[in-house]
Amino acid sequence: MGKAYRLLYDENACIGCQACSVACRVEHGVPEDFFRLQVRMELKGVFPRLGMSYERMACVMCEDAPCVSVCPTFASFQDKDGLVHIDERVCITCKYCILACPYHARFVNPLKNVVEKCDFCYESRVSKALLPVCVSICPTEALMFGDMNERDSLVYETSHKEALIFPKAHLKTKPKVAFLPKRKGMKS
Amino acid sequence: MSPVWGSMAQYEMVHWSWAIAVYLFLAGLSSGSIMVALLVKWNRHERSNSSIWDAMIKSGAVVAPLSILLGLLLLVVDLGRPLSFYWLLIRYNITSVMSLGVLFLLLYTPIVMVFMLLVFERSVMKYTFLSPLIALIQAVKELHSYAKIIEYFLFVTALCISSYTGFLLSALYAIPLWNSPILPILFITSSISLGIAVNILIGLLFFKSTINEESIKYLLVLDLRVILTELPLLALLFIGMFYAGAESANAAKAALSQGFWAGLFWFGVIGVGLCLPLLTVMIALKSHVYRISYVVINSMVVIVGVLILRYYIVYAGQIYLG
Repeated sequence: MGKAYRLLYDENACIGCQACSVACRVEHGVPEDFFRLQVRMELKGVFPRLGMSYERMACVMCEDAPCVSVCPTFASFQDKDGLVHIDERVCITCKYCILACPYHARFVNPLKNVVEKCDFCYESRVSKALLPVCVSICPTEALMFGDMNERDSLVYETSHKEALIFPKAHLKTKPKVAFLPKRKGMKS
Repeated sequence: MSPVWGSMAQYEMVHWSWAIAVYLFLAGLSSGSIMVALLVKWNRHERSNSSIWDAMIKSGAVVAPLSILLGLLLLVVDLGRPLSFYWLLIRYNITSVMSLGVLFLLLYTPIVMVFMLLVFERSVMKYTFLSPLIALIQAVKELHSYAKIIEYFLFVTALCISSYTGFLLSALYAIPLWNSPILPILFITSSISLGIAVNILIGLLFFKSTINEESIKYLLVLDLRVILTELPLLALLFIGMFYAGAESANAAKAALSQGFWAGLFWFGVIGVGLCLPLLTVMIALKSHVYRISYVVINSMVVIVGVLILRYYIVYAGQIYLG
């Protein structure tokens, strides 16, 4: 049976330290001013009822991925586990996928001149049974990663205990990334 | 100043720039001018003058192949990796409008090039370095009994070219201004209007001896109808966005009211592109005399207007995301 990967982002535990973003840059050698992953922070509400809101910006690994269906050369493709990858050999950098992505997860790597995005660290870590680097570095355990087919995995247990929000769920892209929304403070 | 989490530049980039806008213009020009040439050939030919080819057909036969070749060159050069463009010809993803476009272009481009050779057969004969083409022309002429069917086929592929440029954009639901079924229809109508304008202009400049006033009048009446269709189509595009949820409605509001691109829409697309030609065509047709100056001005404003429309759609779509 294939894997059903899921990445959970707990907005209650995130402190906005950006360690995940920095670790990602180091792991993948992301060029300056470009990002596979950002955690955006915003102060919301009116004094004294203020609260911080955090938003993870990265590929959400859609099951029905618009970037895959628009790619003319199958450079943007899904593997057997449904993870979306980029085959750099056949990418012509037409940027059609960048425009098609509703999550703004993609960019052109100016050094390699190909399209790039978060790949859950598949090559370097997940395929070797390691956690994605952002998950393993997170100091507050705001990130969880695992296989939903394993009943005793943390993501399985958390997903069945908590109310999850799937980003832009109305688009029916069926993301593999879900958020645990803020329970305290200001809601957006 | 960049925020704590880093630069936002990547998220505010315009990924498809002027080259794509100009390609959309050139593809519309090519398909529009060949459709107009075929319409003249089918509807007005027996009333034509001494030459067997009306000036409108001649200009269509020149403009269509040259503009599509120029457009394709631009498209390839604009790729991040121009030299790997050949993958487009090897791998086809039928759910991708870009792949479908490649297939349409592979059908369309050779046929318009052969059409040009047939129309300019005598010129080809004149130059010895073109002599290898004579055999090709003779071979194609053998098919003369199928001429009408081939012409219909060419017309359909031209329709595919002008509409695919619209579907290319409208397939992306991440971009509210593009994600509308009106866009392909809008692109077809504006490419016909563009075809009429350019064919008349090129006809007046280079093929004056075979100009037929009646053909021009026929095209100007057609242009009037096309422009009167384009205005409500543009209205429908935005009305559709207002009823498609908050995100689309915000994008539509911004695209019509904020910044440089909103100004360009009202001044360039509506003013120069549609109202001005409407005015000149009505004056040209009303005066019942064939006044060259009106016709030339009309052609120029239509050309500028269609180019601005393509620019506006490409840029405003990527900038105003709602």
